[in-house]
Amino acid sequence: MNKKTKSLSLNLLATLALYLLITVLIASGAINNYLANIIITICITIIMTSSLNVTTGLLGQLALGHAGFMAIGAYVSALFTKSVALDFGLSLPLSLLVGGLVAALFGMLIGIPALRLEGDYLAIITLGFGEIIRVIIVNLDITGGPRGLTRITRMSRAFSDDRLLSSIIAFTFVFTITALIIASIFTLGRSRHGRAIISIRENAIAAEATGIPTTRYKLLAFTVAAFYAGIAGGLFAHQTSIIESRMFDFNKSIEYLVMVVLGGMGSITGSIISSIVLVSLPELLRGMDKYRLIIYSVLLIMMMLFRPSGLLGTREFSMIRLWERLEVLWKRIFRRHEAQTKMPFQPRYDVWDDKPVLETHSLGISFGGLTAAEKIDICLMNDEIVGLIGPNGAGKTTVFNLLTGVYTPTEGQVILLGNPIQGKMTHQITADGIARTFQNIRLFKSLSALDNIKVAFHSRMQYSPISAIIRDAKCQSEERGIDIRARELLRVFEMEAQADVPAGSLPYGQQRKLEICRALASNPKVLLLDEPAAGMNPSETAELMQTIKTIRSQFSVAILLIEHDMKLVMGICERIYVLNYGRVIAHGTPEEIRNNKEVITAYLGQDQAHTEASHA
Amino acid sequence: MNLFLNQLINGLHVGSIYALIALGYTMVYGIVKLINFAHGDIIMVGAYTAVIVLMTLGWSAPVALLAAVVVCVIFGVLIERIAYKPLRNSPRISSLITAIGVSMLLQNAALLIFGAQPQPFPTVLNIEPIKLNGIQISFVTLLTVGISAVLMILLQGFVIGSKAGKAMRAASEDYTTAQLMGINVNTTITLTFAIGCALAGIGSFLFCMAYPAVSPTMGSLPGLKAFIAAVLGGIGIIPGAMLGGFVMGVAESLTKAYISTTMSDAVVYGILILVLLVKPTGLLGKTTSEKV
Repeated sequence: MNKKTKSLSLNLLATLALYLLITVLIASGAINNYLANIIITICITIIMTSSLNVTTGLLGQLALGHAGFMAIGAYVSALFTKSVALDFGLSLPLSLLVGGLVAALFGMLIGIPALRLEGDYLAIITLGFGEIIRVIIVNLDITGGPRGLTRITRMSRAFSDDRLLSSIIAFTFVFTITALIIASIFTLGRSRHGRAIISIRENAIAAEATGIPTTRYKLLAFTVAAFYAGIAGGLFAHQTSIIESRMFDFNKSIEYLVMVVLGGMGSITGSIISSIVLVSLPELLRGMDKYRLIIYSVLLIMMMLFRPSGLLGTREFSMIRLWERLEVLWKRIFRRHEAQTKMPFQPRYDVWDDKPVLETHSLGISFGGLTAAEKIDICLMNDEIVGLIGPNGAGKTTVFNLLTGVYTPTEGQVILLGNPIQGKMTHQITADGIARTFQNIRLFKSLSALDNIKVAFHSRMQYSPISAIIRDAKCQSEERGIDIRARELLRVFEMEAQADVPAGSLPYGQQRKLEICRALASNPKVLLLDEPAAGMNPSETAELMQTIKTIRSQFSVAILLIEHDMKLVMGICERIYVLNYGRVIAHGTPEEIRNNKEVITAYLGQDQAHTEASHA
Repeated sequence: MNLFLNQLINGLHVGSIYALIALGYTMVYGIVKLINFAHGDIIMVGAYTAVIVLMTLGWSAPVALLAAVVVCVIFGVLIERIAYKPLRNSPRISSLITAIGVSMLLQNAALLIFGAQPQPFPTVLNIEPIKLNGIQISFVTLLTVGISAVLMILLQGFVIGSKAGKAMRAASEDYTTAQLMGINVNTTITLTFAIGCALAGIGSFLFCMAYPAVSPTMGSLPGLKAFIAAVLGGIGIIPGAMLGGFVMGVAESLTKAYISTTMSDAVVYGILILVLLVKPTGLLGKTTSEKV
């Protein structure tokens, strides 16, 4: 049995045990109708919080209007069962699906501004949408207006004539849906799609540059979250049988947000625990009704003061983990590492020996009236290491941004492997074969080194979100393959020991190396390194030179390198371009550049250049 | 036409109250990047203080106003020191949740002490409204708009001209660097909260003169709207808060007059969404993009 199946069966067993326990308790009468109802409320709350955690925890965007989606699901699903003459056992699941889909549609609509807005502004937009949904519901006739929708079939009574049997079926139904939704969030979260969403939270610019279509994934996260909230709304409507628009107001959204934060943003198990606690807590405090909310709010403040990142932080509680730790220990003591199958990187491209891999034709950009770069003509041959140097502010990083689509050139062309790529999105250009590192390191800090690399494999994998949720054979084999290749890549850079260390806690030199490693994982034909030696001491720089040479020999990639360390540039570059005031002022071999008058002037100024020349 | 002008004046009246409250949000946000959800409830604190001073103690209106301001400032500073300061280096969402907690605490404590029944706010100014060709302007409206405008100008002058104002701007620009330049960031932040809450105290008095009912949850809706006004105008920007407040107030009262009372919130949020879609950082906000 491998780890995945073991984990699956453990979780399945625990879920089944919990289900059987509650069912037996309901059947025996130990859990009365009132308690059974609370358990169903807990399930609905769990769906709400774990789905909100997809946008807020995984994607990292604060959403203040989650109850709005619940409202849509509730009304749509209630109206569906009211108007359709089907057996309740059939019409309820159908209505949930319809409610979920309509909510998902709205989620997508609300996700569109998310493409433009960030942080608190986005939070306010979601708040606004949530409130608009509520106000519209009040003003419609079909929704019963301010009086609300009444006499919705109550699921605890409608499944069977026998009250007890009916409430057991209702519980089974809600429990199953909740379990399925949680499982799907987990499988999705741990797939390439989940990694893509999390990488946006960690560093949106780097995510785009490693080939993640960030806009699409933001939309996906919003849509999925809304879909599940819609289902929760449908369940809620058929639990209470009366719905009013004010049940889904801003305060409701806040209530769910509080639960997500208390459980730990990004931790689905945290959301589950806090949902259970926070739904039952008011019931436990029912005796002291007057002080209930005061106690609740004081607890909330205390909790945040003493545990600001919530109960579980971003970690997940897992049953397999303990088991795994024991196993790892066992292996470390008694067995050696099994040899892993070697799977060398195959260059994806045809041999491109005689023609340039990358060339630009009079590339330029101006911001308003300011010309940051103009008439840049650069060409890179296969397997070449080329330097790009120039004084600070000469436009070196601007050239990188033009090549990678961070800026769209206002003039000129970028030709990669014979095809023009200017005007494409950054993630498309990455998938086409240009990868880069950043001047200020941009790693996905809370992800492990291994996961940082796996994110970059994204554009080379194919399985869909659906196959991620059901973990079909395609998803599993692709994930297995990527795991092997990512570890392989780490081994090339002698970082296999750090595979599970969060990228943010690696030492500086290794962070730089990991960033290069991640860039290579997208299998580029051209690698752009932006000041890789910045902040390194001489021995680290020497090591870096070696690394760059290794990359060239092992990966068949052309390297364009921005660097201020002349020893490094002169030491490994075959050719050098010199930039000043946004133009290429010189181009040639290191030797030619060293003696170029214009270059010396650019670096040292007119007078010095003159004296220097006369001295020479 | 007269209906339109009257509604416009009503809008300016409500709008200038929103603007006053929005200033507190915008200043606090500018410096600690926190949506201070408890700010709306400071209005409630000020209102109850004024009611106690006016009704129970039977003192005059200016004393009540002063008392409201002082109590609001004390509450604001205490909340900042106890609940927000320890979280300054935590994830921002934690302070947001704390702010929500403080808001709930204030509301429920007030509920426990004063009960849910709204208490009437006495009439403090009994001056005949001014009538001009069928347009009616009450004295309270003039007073409210006037006071708000003056306070806004004073505040802007303070932030731009004074040494403490300069410290505020430095701290909102870069908190750590400001410390390195010898600015006492703690004092600066406390001062920011104090000023914001003093304005909320004045706002609460003006609010009660317009809507004379004091209840534990009275602050949450104007608080939320003021916050939205701050975002609309461009959060962190003082003239933006004023502009946002007026836009909100006018849009709200015109919708109530011409479309429907219940739709007014939807229209206000709709305007907000449209503005943010076109100008993601609000009406007066500057767009900043992250340097790659």
